[in-house]
Amino acid sequence: MFPGEHVVVVGLGFGDEGKGAVVDTLCQDGTVASVVRFNGGAQAAHNVVAGERHHTFSQFGSGTLSGTPTLLSRYVLVEPIALAAEARELAALGVPDPLSLVSIDTAARLTTPIHVAANRAREDARGRDRHGSCGKGIGETVWYSLVSRRRPAPGSVFEGQEVPGAAGSAPTVGDCADPAGMRRKLDAMARFYEPLLAGSEHGFPAVSEMVSLYRDFAAAVRTVSGDEVGRRAERGTLVFEGAQGVLLDEWRGFHPHTTWSTVTPDNARALLGGRRAQVLGVTRTYQTRHGAGPLPTEDSRVRFPEAHNGVGRYQGAWREGHLDAVLLRYAVAACGGIDGLAVTHLDHAAKGLKVANAYSECGTDLPAGPGVTRLPGRCAPQLAELPRDPDALVDWFETLLDTPVRVTGAGADRADYRVRTAIPLHG
Amino acid sequence: MGHGKWDDDTYAAARTFRAAKGLDDFGYTSKMKAKSSKGWKADPSLDPLGVTARECRDSADHADSTPIAVLFDVTGSMGEVPKIMQRKLGKLHGLLQRKGYVTDPQILFGGIGDADSDRVPLQIGQFESDNRMDTQLRTIFLEGNGGGQKSESYELAAYFMARHIVTDAWQKRGRKGYLFLIGDELNKPRLEARHIRRIIGDDLGQDIDPASVYRELARKWNVYFVLPNQSSYYNDPEISAHWQGILGQNFLKLDDPGAVCELIATTIGIEERTVDLDQALVDLAEVGSVAESRSVGKALVQVGAGARALAPSATPPGLDGPDDVALN
Repeated sequence: MFPGEHVVVVGLGFGDEGKGAVVDTLCQDGTVASVVRFNGGAQAAHNVVAGERHHTFSQFGSGTLSGTPTLLSRYVLVEPIALAAEARELAALGVPDPLSLVSIDTAARLTTPIHVAANRAREDARGRDRHGSCGKGIGETVWYSLVSRRRPAPGSVFEGQEVPGAAGSAPTVGDCADPAGMRRKLDAMARFYEPLLAGSEHGFPAVSEMVSLYRDFAAAVRTVSGDEVGRRAERGTLVFEGAQGVLLDEWRGFHPHTTWSTVTPDNARALLGGRRAQVLGVTRTYQTRHGAGPLPTEDSRVRFPEAHNGVGRYQGAWREGHLDAVLLRYAVAACGGIDGLAVTHLDHAAKGLKVANAYSECGTDLPAGPGVTRLPGRCAPQLAELPRDPDALVDWFETLLDTPVRVTGAGADRADYRVRTAIPLHG
Repeated sequence: MGHGKWDDDTYAAARTFRAAKGLDDFGYTSKMKAKSSKGWKADPSLDPLGVTARECRDSADHADSTPIAVLFDVTGSMGEVPKIMQRKLGKLHGLLQRKGYVTDPQILFGGIGDADSDRVPLQIGQFESDNRMDTQLRTIFLEGNGGGQKSESYELAAYFMARHIVTDAWQKRGRKGYLFLIGDELNKPRLEARHIRRIIGDDLGQDIDPASVYRELARKWNVYFVLPNQSSYYNDPEISAHWQGILGQNFLKLDDPGAVCELIATTIGIEERTVDLDQALVDLAEVGSVAESRSVGKALVQVGAGARALAPSATPPGLDGPDDVALN
């Protein structure tokens, strides 16, 4: 398949590109030693359909249906309550003892019900100006850990959010095995958020219950520390499964509609510590976005059936538009280049798809650097027809980005996915 | 600060993690059953012997505590029902909190056996308002024996509840607690002093009439007897007549033992007048307990009708602090 090569799978859009199905495809022949998550947390929703079985992967790696173990690296935000629920769903699909497949870095930060409540209280207060957050406490987890390191004054505004109190240090997966320490951290967090949550409809379980739950969690999953990626890389091929899309990246995305997460392959590269890996960028044949934020090619006439993406209370509506070559090139550049493409939803080619090769005011490429964040909303896309033949469309993608298409998807089921013969790259 | 949906999710997650570790819900029972019956005993945290009083106190977080005790028959005639109780009752606190039918619930669990024949005829936990009650539930020993004379030592449990429980609800506010006995047989004809001495440790000189124990108990507790289906005597008219004679309309038949939490929550809500039966059944359907709501509806038809006709409860007469630990 990709013999001997580690692969980093990243989304080149705003999420929902089909990363889950691609990872599932790469894992099917059983040669992948582990799927490594290197960003995001429980907000990930990677759909895999295998015949009658469907699962939306959130914290488990998308190779789980083939029995591939998951490593949640130190960059992942871990939410044990959701992890347990996902384990039950996977067990119901016939995956034996799903939790035994999961290992978690002790340095991974913990998303708690307190973060979730705070996230939702803030989004409620923003009203119509919501950021399109999933309401799962991801941003709040990152924000609180930043607050606990930098100690901004209570009442001040830090990284765009008001600081309600004095923060303690942020809980990690490693803390779960230490009930006394965990209790102190959760008590401090509950006090910190008290002014924000008082009067909101959002609450959380008693600290004692969370402490006890996290102790059970720590006993049920394998925790690791140090260079676990290095140890696993020695034993076999690793697939790094990115969450969300590069266009939502905390540095490269369009603010404020971004995620508090590095979506580019940077974290995966840091974990690999100099070991070689192929970066596989994933794109649909059209553009999609969940919730608020720029989507320059949005067109209400573009509507494709979408089985597993709906409207979330906090995330907002599901939106679609024409393929956007300007954004695609921007995303590839944000990744520092890619070694191959995975193109999904090729089954829609015959319907006659369009592409924006340029915007009327700013041409074919977004300028790099500050100021980029507002441009896509202002520029009118210039549309052209895309080939209706799927093979011709694949060729079109290869020419556009000067990179081979290595995985194709033409439907929701794993049977609709193909790995194409690897073409040697860059010598 | 509790939050019902979270409480249920937290509970479910804890169970998932324990199961992954190989800890089953009946851990203590498995451990005991691995020994010969001579070594069977209650876990020290549930042993009533020498206990002056189990306390249900207010705290800063729970300033208006409501005591709720659920004691279920763990003898053989109950069949699989004790296991169902042990598995389901952990949901009770989350359900009560989510519904808001009652202020600051604190829950005590316990097990009832046969003082004439069992190694462990009485187990009484502590009042808890967090998931330590879940641990307590799993620690109850399901001995599964019983004597076969269609009677168990419910009156021994009732005696402990009447004499060895102290609650702020009663002492500070004159409010009764809620006691649910879950079983399928009769009381013993007499509460024998020797059993009280051996199992609880009170130095009583003479046997007691069970009816007088329940009269004493009713001063400070709303007492209910729940006869669950899948037990041996669900359709035995002698059982119904016996308990209706003692508790009147507070005798409840439950056709689905899995709906025990929903029944308890609804019964309390109706007694507290925070909900009527019709609304409670709608509430249950809303939280996904549709099948359970049907069983609860059947069980409570007469209580619901009766409660609407009752006068509002006033502060009970003779409200006086410390007499509730009238130890001999």
